[in-house]
Amino acid sequence: MSAVTATMSEGDMDARTKPATPDEGARLGFRLTLPAQILVLFISAFPLLMQLYISVTDWSPLSGVGWWNAWEMWNSFANYTDLAADTRFWSALQRTAIVMLVCVPAEFLLGLALATLFADDFPGKRIFYSILLMPMMVVPAVAGYMFFMLFQSGGPVNDILARIIGTPLTIAWLSDPTLALIAVMIADIWQWTPLMFLILLAGLVGVPEDQMKAATLLGANAWQRFTTIVLPKMKTIIIIALAIRVIENFKIFDTLYIMTGGGPGVATETISVYIYKVTTQDLIWGYVAAIALAILIVLSIVAVYAMKRMAKSREVPA
Amino acid sequence: MKRSIPFEIFRYAAILAAMAATLVPILWMVSMAFKPIGEWSATGADLTWWPKQPTLANFQFVFGHSTNDLIVALDHTALKPILSSLLSAVFGTAIAMSAGTAAAYGLSRFGSGQNLPLALIQLRLFPPMAVMIPVMIMWAFLNLNDTWWGLALIYGIVTLPFAFWLMKTFFDDMPREIEEAALVEGCSRLRVFTRITLPMMRAPLASAALFVFILNWSDYLIALLLTTREWVTIPVYMASLSSSMTGQLYGAKAALGLIAAVPPVIMGIAIQRHLVRGLTFGALKQ
Repeated sequence: MSAVTATMSEGDMDARTKPATPDEGARLGFRLTLPAQILVLFISAFPLLMQLYISVTDWSPLSGVGWWNAWEMWNSFANYTDLAADTRFWSALQRTAIVMLVCVPAEFLLGLALATLFADDFPGKRIFYSILLMPMMVVPAVAGYMFFMLFQSGGPVNDILARIIGTPLTIAWLSDPTLALIAVMIADIWQWTPLMFLILLAGLVGVPEDQMKAATLLGANAWQRFTTIVLPKMKTIIIIALAIRVIENFKIFDTLYIMTGGGPGVATETISVYIYKVTTQDLIWGYVAAIALAILIVLSIVAVYAMKRMAKSREVPA
Repeated sequence: MKRSIPFEIFRYAAILAAMAATLVPILWMVSMAFKPIGEWSATGADLTWWPKQPTLANFQFVFGHSTNDLIVALDHTALKPILSSLLSAVFGTAIAMSAGTAAAYGLSRFGSGQNLPLALIQLRLFPPMAVMIPVMIMWAFLNLNDTWWGLALIYGIVTLPFAFWLMKTFFDDMPREIEEAALVEGCSRLRVFTRITLPMMRAPLASAALFVFILNWSDYLIALLLTTREWVTIPVYMASLSSSMTGQLYGAKAALGLIAAVPPVIMGIAIQRHLVRGLTFGALKQ
């Protein structure tokens, strides 16, 4: 509970130091923020300690002892040394990186291209805009199922390809290691390009038109205007959009798991799928806790960096 | 700026291509949902793009009224999963919105809870998979496993960052003159918040709630880990709709997928204006 009292006094003092804010406001402010503080604490402090504790043991839900007695199964940091040597973990991490390095740039470039087309008014703009945003609102598990159907060997993807090349095709996309990975990446790009489009378009309309006109008068062509005026103005927005997609793409699970279950073999096993499988199939929770903590620590560093960026961006009118 | 004719042709061509890529997967599912079993899968020239004999059998099957043409009956219908998805998403949204709105107001007006913005962003950064072990243990301890209220609680926490950040930017943007006038009139600060600020913010509150609802409704992973049988949600139930005996129940799954996909798409279009703000934690406004 010490953390609660600490944040409480901190909040109180901040409010008091503000001029013309009487005690009543500080007390109300504290009471209003209390439920959120409790929820955050409930989901961070205690679980984190529990995770830390379990991660140095061999505990599993099948081990017959409660988690609080996990110390009986202390394994002197073996989980962490195992992790360093776990080739399946490292290849899952590598695969997650590959998916990210393909999907995020593809989503960015497609989204930017679309946003550029939508920068000024034209007939039908609103309806096109609404339809193009639809994929990001589709439940990801349902999107996964859509693409599962599309990539069946007797499915429409093969049908379209067959019409183009003129011979019947029966590619089993989701059974081939490379093609399965490509298929899940296509599904991710389909679903999340609209998010890039949406954010980048919001940034694009913020670029001042008089500067563009001045540049045109000075003889700059479209490409020069784009690289010297538009891109620098949008720098922060681009960073935010990329950061959001990198974070979310790292978690990739729903669509992918429904499409391939991580297979064939481990061909599409990303880090979330790998953790899921160890959690539900191998049931070695002590080890899962160690993996999870390692990831949390790395991501915390990213979090602080991203937060600084976000804070900076708020000074820029968008 | 005036654009040339070739540019306009290029623009419409590119947009139509993007529209096709966007719509084909969605329309394939819509079409599948109305296909009789004989048209579910076929190859080459027999591939059915649009149902030749449209039927509602898939929807009837999902709701358990009829099993005609299909191989097996289900051990329970989609009604309870739909109810589970609804209850957990609605109450999860209620938790996130009440805690988030109150905290956002506390920070925006009184500077309380300075740690919350960063703490909540961090909460959002972590893959749910990386914090689920303790959650599963705690939920089992609290008897919350496989219940819709257990799901609602975790949904409320997981989407709290969005509720908080959205409402914080709305409160920050709101002019304070009216609140100040009411204070001068002798209203207490709590009364100002509940009687003046909240009613004024009805529209932003509704948008934020819809946004949070979409996120909760879209979950798959958490429900997959925390529900097993009684209160599985639509996506979990949908994934279980195939077995070695029946094979893929394409039509039934598509029907259910359609039912799951329609509410968030409609809501998303309704709150289009606020999507950018919501997705970027208020860093960007449209």
